Parts: sequence; structure tokens; C-alpha cells
Amino acid sequence: MFETIIDPTVGPAESTETGGLTLAPRPERLAGLRLGLLANTKRNAEQFLADVGRELADRYGIVPVVSVRKPNIVETAPAELMAELTEQCDIVVAGVGDCGSCSASAVADGILLEQAGIPAAVIVSDAFTVSADAMAGLRNAPGYTYVTTPHPVANLTAEGVQARAAQAVPAIVALLTEPVMAAATSA
Amino acid sequence: MTAPATKDPVEQAKAAIEYCYDQGWTDGLPVVPATAADVAACLATTPHPGDEIIGSQPHLSRSVTVAQAAANAIMAGCKPEYFPVVLAAWQAVMQERSSRGAWQSTSGPAPLIVVNGPVRTRLAINYAGGAFGPGFRANATIARAIGLIVRNGYGVRPQELEQATQGLPGRWSVCLGENEEMSPWEPLSVVGGVPAGVDAVSAVLIRTVEYIDNRSTDSAEAVLTDFADTLGRMGAYVGGPHSSGGLVLGPEHAQLLGNAGYSRTDVQEWLFEHAVRDPADMVAAGKGEHVGDGPFHMLPSAQAIPIIVAGAANAAMSMVFRPFGWAAWAGRSVPVEWKEQ
Repeated sequence: MFETIIDPTVGPAESTETGGLTLAPRPERLAGLRLGLLANTKRNAEQFLADVGRELADRYGIVPVVSVRKPNIVETAPAELMAELTEQCDIVVAGVGDCGSCSASAVADGILLEQAGIPAAVIVSDAFTVSADAMAGLRNAPGYTYVTTPHPVANLTAEGVQARAAQAVPAIVALLTEPVMAAATSA
Repeated sequence: MTAPATKDPVEQAKAAIEYCYDQGWTDGLPVVPATAADVAACLATTPHPGDEIIGSQPHLSRSVTVAQAAANAIMAGCKPEYFPVVLAAWQAVMQERSSRGAWQSTSGPAPLIVVNGPVRTRLAINYAGGAFGPGFRANATIARAIGLIVRNGYGVRPQELEQATQGLPGRWSVCLGENEEMSPWEPLSVVGGVPAGVDAVSAVLIRTVEYIDNRSTDSAEAVLTDFADTLGRMGAYVGGPHSSGGLVLGPEHAQLLGNAGYSRTDVQEWLFEHAVRDPADMVAAGKGEHVGDGPFHMLPSAQAIPIIVAGAANAAMSMVFRPFGWAAWAGRSVPVEWKEQ
């Protein structure tokens, strides 16, 4: 009946990514693995990841070797940062997705790392799971699993960030050792 | 979708509108279903080919073509002859530094689209009474077209990729002509680098507008003081080096300032100097992280306070608008390109 109505969502005929995401193989043990931390510019993100890195080092013998901050919260990490992480690290923790744009782009970073063969755990605040899941869908990775932490993160004190990071560690460890594609893992 | 049981063309039209709702193509209001003939009519107005890509969001793997923009413009209610203005408005919005992640932002910003030149009269783009709307087809539908392109072209929808905390009254509906006829100064588009008399569009992303009603003085400085107070409001400050602000002056305020000898630049400089806060106020509001000892300038610079003139000369009121993030207007207007007839 309405075949003549133009579909306004159809864009240029360009190649889109096809096929589902295959997660990177998971390591048998974590001790001695080289850890990369990929932060964004949101308030408390770098501190959160630094605290996670310290916990992982103390409790699991993981060795933090790279800590970078991507310049733009909207886009995925630039190629040179990705190269640094994939060349020098065995596993990566990324985040904190604590806004409309950066939650989605943090998930995109995680998916790119998995595609490059690096197990990654992405941390997203629980207010932004919808945009995180929407990005996973856009990247042909529906069900991509990340770690949630209660919103908000930006207004936490240093002690608050530390406590929250410690709380997230078990879920991060689980994601880095057991590949799952299901719902979000709560911390 | 099955055909409606009636041959009544009105019922059929309503069914077509419902079909568009069912596809998720609308912003909540009814859209005009677009056909290939509509798209062709739009393409006949512009030198740009239908398959030209006019915007990309690489992180979303989405791009938008001219033909796609045309379909969305028709859906928004545009006449085909509006389309060159839609394309210029799209370009003006896209070139703003703040537009890249804006559509997903919790701030939920809206484009403020300003049209200069003879096209205002030709397409009946309102620049006088009620310039912010509603009531004028060109104003309402050109702004709405931008919103539908973001929704349908980039796939950014509320409560999905779009994460606006509260949204904004008037998002996708703010397009006004500048009242060049009653402005004491050169058109905004001249500030934006386009010669006077050339059709042009300027755009800035904003988070709100708020009124200044001051009909009780004939002192330019008194009115400027009133503007500076609103521009210096702490709630608009989002942390970092400064807040942001601009003015859509009603013609009465603009002429009061012009008659007192103020150029547009003079007004900008006066407001920059006077839109300041005591650092203690900022600290008291929990926003003292970046303040120093002296008065804290709430605005980034004189130049970054866009001044526009619109509305009727029937009451002395103006609007402050709040550019999104820390970005002011990029300061470049976009000429409207018409197809040679």
C-alpha cells in the first residue's frame, strides 16, 4: 500500500560491518599479564582506572604497563593509542562511560580491542546502559557484556572512587577470564 | 500494513501518516510521507547531487546524503523550495565545534538557526513578531528537518543513543530570520564572512533561551546591566574556564543601544567586561574549582557573545541564549546555494 513512501533512514550504499563479534581468546591465568588502561576525559575516569589497576596488581599479580587518556569522549580511541595498547598489553580496562556519548564510545573501544585480539573490560555507569547497548548493536555485537558501576561517578571523592573501583574488580576479572555475550554484568 | 478498508482519500492519508509512525520515523508529530517525486523536486532546487554525502558520524557508522536530507525535509513539512536553506542550515550546524557528539549528549542541545538575506522574504521566513515561533511554516519546518535528519539519518533517537537528561522546549523548532530592516548593525551573516545581501544561514547549538524584559528605562547602560546579570547566572556555568551566552535582541533594545552609539562590537565588549561573578559566589555554589581571586568572567571573550536582532518593535524585550558546552558560535555563516535556473 505504501511502497512509494521513501524510507528516510536509508543512507549511502557503503560497506557496513557484517557478522557478529567474536571475543578475543581469554587467558588461563591473570598473573604476570600486561595491563593497559584506556581512560576518557570525564571527571574521575583516570582515577577510577588507576585504582582498578592497583587492585588488579595487588590481588591478581597483573602488571599495569600502559595508561592513556583518549582526547575525545565521542569517538573511539585514535589509531596510535589503540596501537600502543594492542602492541604492549595483554588485557585492557576502559572507561568510564559516564555520559551519553562516552558510554557508547567506550563500548566501541572495547569491541575494537576484542577484534584486535585483546580481552577488554569496559566500565559504564548504570545510567547509560541503553546507549552502551545501542552502540553494541550498531557494531554488530548485540549482547556485548561490560561492567556497570552505579551512577554518578563524576561527583565522587577520591575515597569514593577507590571504593567503587574495588567493588568493580570481581566483575572486571570475570569478564577478562570468561568470555560472555549476554546482559550487562553488575558490579 | 494492509490497505485501509476505505477509499476515502483522507482516511488513506491518515493511514500513510500512521505507517510513518509505525516505522519509527517521526519526532512525535505527524510527518508528511515523502515520495521519489518529492525528493526529485527538492534536488531540482540545489546544485548538489542526491548521492553527495553531507554528514558523517564515523563512530556510529552512519552517513547522510543529499537525497536522504530531502526526504526528511519533506517529512518535516518543507516545501521543495526551502531545501537549499535546509542544506545550508545543516552545513552551518555541522561545522559547529560542538556538534560532533551533541546529538547523544545529556545536555540535549538544539540548533539556533539564523537566516539572513532576501530569502527571508521570498520564503516567508519570519523575522518579526513571534520570530521564535510557532506559526510560520518555513521557520518551523526548516528547523524540524534538521532534527529528522539527525533521527533518521544518524539513527540517534531519544532514550537510545540520545541521552538528553531533560531535553529542551523548542528543540528542532528554532529557526528565525534576522530583522535586518530594524537592526542598527550589519547582518549577522556579514559578521560570519558572507557579503550583505547574500542569502546565508548561521547556526549555534544552544541549551536554552531566557528572556530579559526591560521596558522601564531609556538608558543603554541600564539595559546592558540587566543583560549582563542574566548572562552571568551561575546555573549556566558547566565547570571549566567559563560559561557561554549570546543575545537575540528585540528591535527596541537593539535600537536603544544603536542610538546610544554602541556598535555590535561595543555591546559585546561591554557584556564581556560586566558579566562577572564574585569568586565567593561560585565557591558557595560548589563551582569554585577554576575561579581565581578577582572577578570571574563568565563568558569566554567579547567576540564569543553572538548578537542577533529579531522580533517586533512592540515591547522592549530580548532573549539570552546559551551555547552548548564551552563552544561559542564558530563565527562562519554559510551562503545558501541555489541551482542556476
